[in-house]
Amino acid sequence: MMHAMATETRPETQGEITVSTSRFGQLSVNPEKIITVTSPFLGFPDSRRFIVKPHGEESPFLWLQSLDDPKLAFVAIQAALLIPQYQPEISSLTRQELQGSPDQPLEILLILTVPKENPEGMTANLLGPVAINSQKRLAKQVLQDPTRYDACWPVFSVDSAE
Amino acid sequence: MLILARKPGEAIAIGDGIKIRVLEIQGGQVKIGVEAPTEVMVHREEIYLRILEENTRAATEAPEDLSSLASVFSGDKTRRKQPSKK
Repeated sequence: MMHAMATETRPETQGEITVSTSRFGQLSVNPEKIITVTSPFLGFPDSRRFIVKPHGEESPFLWLQSLDDPKLAFVAIQAALLIPQYQPEISSLTRQELQGSPDQPLEILLILTVPKENPEGMTANLLGPVAINSQKRLAKQVLQDPTRYDACWPVFSVDSAE
Repeated sequence: MLILARKPGEAIAIGDGIKIRVLEIQGGQVKIGVEAPTEVMVHREEIYLRILEENTRAATEAPEDLSSLASVFSGDKTRRKQPSKK
């Protein structure tokens, strides 16, 4: 069930670049894994290149680590894992920007805000999902209709499992 | 701030690539058409500010590591066992 991922121990192979990050120290990055945002995240105009770093093999969480700002990393999750029915609107203009064909599915990540003292109060930003064209390695935060989607959607309070 | 008076149908050109046209005025609301290159983001200001705020919060709140989250997704029982430090 678990895939053995050797990336952690693999020595730096040819072509990989080393970037320093404040959370993960020196990271060896395969240039082919680098994702470029076609327009920067609002508030972070100088960060264009990111990598998606899984938190762990069994964790649903991902890190969206900037390669241009060592300190900048977002916690994210695949939207489909969190809200299967979530279907953000991606305009044809945005698809063009991401160089995706009209019928090509884009990967959708949600940025999570995780309060330090209360991780279970985490919220997901449904108003600004991140659309990724994995083939072209292009991404963009795509703003949605504020009457439909919340920027601070509580991940746990809507869970009626209890 | 530059202030210009425009009638419906009239526009303002900003640089070579951006045009802002007043389309319609009705009941205290103005419909504005914006033509801009795709690399220029155009958003309603309040949405822009909302996303800016939430991005900043997400980036500054992001824990150093996610070990605190390990239990969060592992089921109902562990969900209550948060280290409450309030």
